[in-house]
Amino acid sequence: MKKILLILFIVLPILAQLVVLPFVNRIDPIILGLPFLQFWLFLWIVLTPFCTFGIYQLQKSQGGLD
Amino acid sequence: MQQGNLTALSITICIILTVVLIGFLAGRDKATRSSVEEWSVGGRRFGGLLVWFLVGADLYTAYTFLGLTSTAYTAGSLAFFAIPYSVLAYFISYFFLPKLWKVANHHKLTTLADYARERFDSKLLSSLIAIVGVLMLIPYICLQLSGIQDTLQVAGTGFINVKVVVITSFLLVALYTFFSGIKGPTYTAIIKDVLVWAIMLFMVVSLPIMHFGGWNPMVDKIVTEAPQLLTIPTEGPKGIPWFITASFVSALALFMWAHAATGVFTAKSADAIRKNALYLPLYNIVLILVVFLGFIAFLVLPNGTDPRFALLALIQTSYGGIGQGLAYSTIALASLIPCSIMAIGASNLFANNIYRDLINPKVKGAKLTMITRGMVFVVIGLALLFGLVFPQALVSLQLLGVSGMVQIFPAIVVSLFWRNQSREATIIGLLVGLTVTFTVYSTGTSLGIYEGFWGLMANFATIVVMNPLFVKKAKSTTNDVKEYLFEEKTKKVDLVRKGA
Repeated sequence: MKKILLILFIVLPILAQLVVLPFVNRIDPIILGLPFLQFWLFLWIVLTPFCTFGIYQLQKSQGGLD
Repeated sequence: MQQGNLTALSITICIILTVVLIGFLAGRDKATRSSVEEWSVGGRRFGGLLVWFLVGADLYTAYTFLGLTSTAYTAGSLAFFAIPYSVLAYFISYFFLPKLWKVANHHKLTTLADYARERFDSKLLSSLIAIVGVLMLIPYICLQLSGIQDTLQVAGTGFINVKVVVITSFLLVALYTFFSGIKGPTYTAIIKDVLVWAIMLFMVVSLPIMHFGGWNPMVDKIVTEAPQLLTIPTEGPKGIPWFITASFVSALALFMWAHAATGVFTAKSADAIRKNALYLPLYNIVLILVVFLGFIAFLVLPNGTDPRFALLALIQTSYGGIGQGLAYSTIALASLIPCSIMAIGASNLFANNIYRDLINPKVKGAKLTMITRGMVFVVIGLALLFGLVFPQALVSLQLLGVSGMVQIFPAIVVSLFWRNQSREATIIGLLVGLTVTFTVYSTGTSLGIYEGFWGLMANFATIVVMNPLFVKKAKSTTNDVKEYLFEEKTKKVDLVRKGA
């Protein structure tokens, strides 16, 4: 379970900010005053630190950090 | 050029002088220049918050603000490549920077080239890396130079001789860098970062209200009048493949820059670096909004405005003297302070890895410290000279900076994880990567993909193919860094086994 979470936290930011770009390259819908592409990029500015934090916590709980 | 505003100019000059003064005061304690380690990486004593300000300060430069808005002004959403690029750069750094910091701390290394020399026992590799680093960094310093030059030109036309003021301000920066080392830019970085956040947020809130009556009416106007700005082009030389590869390669390259590495090595613990990797992406909130300032400029400014001046002209037409003054000084500081950190990075590479590793291996102690500090004048002097005398020759080097820098990624990062990576394959890979990058660039055969991407792929492929030829030696030899990186764990396992 922990391993799956770890992989998810590592892969998601990269997929979301590089691979899926052709699919989010659009104006509608406008969310929070931002056209969709800009909203998507903004979303991942905020979500990426959560992924990093998740990885940090998982590594810490396994005692892998010093 | 339109006549400047005297209030704005006075505020800008006052703020610059205050910051230079603080830069000098930061180094009044003699210990700041007692050794290369103190002068260049602050004795590795900086906590998480200070490193955050320092790395933020040296990566978000005047060129970031002026360049991004002008890209947005001319090429629309291509400017947004900077967002995934820097978010991913910090994310990826989480996986290798703590390890790199630990090696550097344990072996008292102050540059990336130092690491490569110790890791591969190769002065050839370290000096190659240093040459690439300095060669790519000087044009980057020139960009900061043109940032402040443009700002002063808009602020001071009709009042001052812009060139004289630019040269004076850079010499002042060189002087305080020589004197205070990394402490100078660190304390002033806090002022700069606070100003950047305050001024950029102020502009992002006030400009849409002034020109369109609010944020949402502005977005509506862009959607109806210039929708092409809001999406990445799907065809043409720079489309989605360019966007993705440019973001990816730039993300890998970010911490290969000497100034970024300098910032990282000031940290006091690996954990401070992990926390930085965590919080630094948030800096991009301000960046994504800055791109919108470029869109505002597109709608508001008259046709035919020089894109290079898009943000500055927008400030000039929108605010009175005080607003202009604060905005100009923010951009001016965003050019001077990174310049100081870049000069430290480049001087360090020059003195340690070109002068000492190649020319005079016996130099050490006080003399090496003095040479490193003195190099600041050479580096900033060269940047001034190139910037003012051969502005055109620099354009290619600036465009290729990221693509060139990323080629040291296998030597610096992959080698942290791959025990049997051989020195010979790494050197050949680096050279192949650089050659491919320059060839693709000069022949224009990039096929819509970022030049550095081709170079990096060739670089990796070369290493993978060549490595088996040299792996025997790499396997059988060891050194302190290799032992520290790879053998400590096996030792621990052995101990546990013995205990059991």
